[in-house]
Amino acid sequence: MNLAYSILSGGLPGYILVALLLFVIGLGAVLVRRSILVQFMGVELMLNAANVALLAFARFRGGDVQGTVFYLFIIAVAACEAAVGLALVVGLFRHRRTTDTDRADALKL
Amino acid sequence: MFLCFALITLTGAVALTFQRNLVVAGLCLVLSFMGVAGLFLLLANPVAAALQIIVYSGAIVVLLLFVIMLLAEHQEEPAQRRRPLQRWGSVLVLLALAAGALRLVARSHVLRSLDSGPLPPAMNLDTLGAALFNDHLLAFEGVGLLLLAAMVGAVALVKRDL
Repeated sequence: MNLAYSILSGGLPGYILVALLLFVIGLGAVLVRRSILVQFMGVELMLNAANVALLAFARFRGGDVQGTVFYLFIIAVAACEAAVGLALVVGLFRHRRTTDTDRADALKL
Repeated sequence: MFLCFALITLTGAVALTFQRNLVVAGLCLVLSFMGVAGLFLLLANPVAAALQIIVYSGAIVVLLLFVIMLLAEHQEEPAQRRRPLQRWGSVLVLLALAAGALRLVARSHVLRSLDSGPLPPAMNLDTLGAALFNDHLLAFEGVGLLLLAAMVGAVALVKRDL
């Protein structure tokens, strides 16, 4: 089949499929796991899925340089998010002695 | 080649989700990022691949592993109470999303029409630098300011007494 060949040989549908599946797996890490550090890794996976889709579309729609520029800004923001997020994890561990999101429920009614 | 890198990426991600040991989960994350960098190389974008390896596999994962070692909690804590409804509900939602993604890609005519065309030349650092410093100079400086703010914020959050 034409579509299966396109996916297996690295056409645009293949990249989009990989990006979507990567996003779903990252969302799974956020939803199913309790450790806040694994949830953080899941968020990074979702950001990467968005990057794969962005650069695949940039390549197959004429190789515009703006896609790569946007990718540069996205990873800069991701680095900021990583620094502040991990600082918050360290702060949570200092106050509650845990990295389990189920145990950090002081704001819950 | 595409299949190889795609499998590396997805295997790393799945292994991360099912891994109990946090340090090993961080190394699975590196595997996944390396697979994504390979995909960027196949997309004729060596600049993005290099940035992916330097920033993600280098900086972010090293920071993450450093925090994991600092907290000295390498295993996930045992659950306080079981939440079967939430757990299986989220698994169901994820399976539905994956099935939806497969269906979307299989049925999309737009993706297929974009697929057949002459491919542009590979991205190089010259064009990227020219675009970055001619068209996006203000955004570039803004990102520098954002990084500074994040750095100061992280130090302020972690430091006990300023």
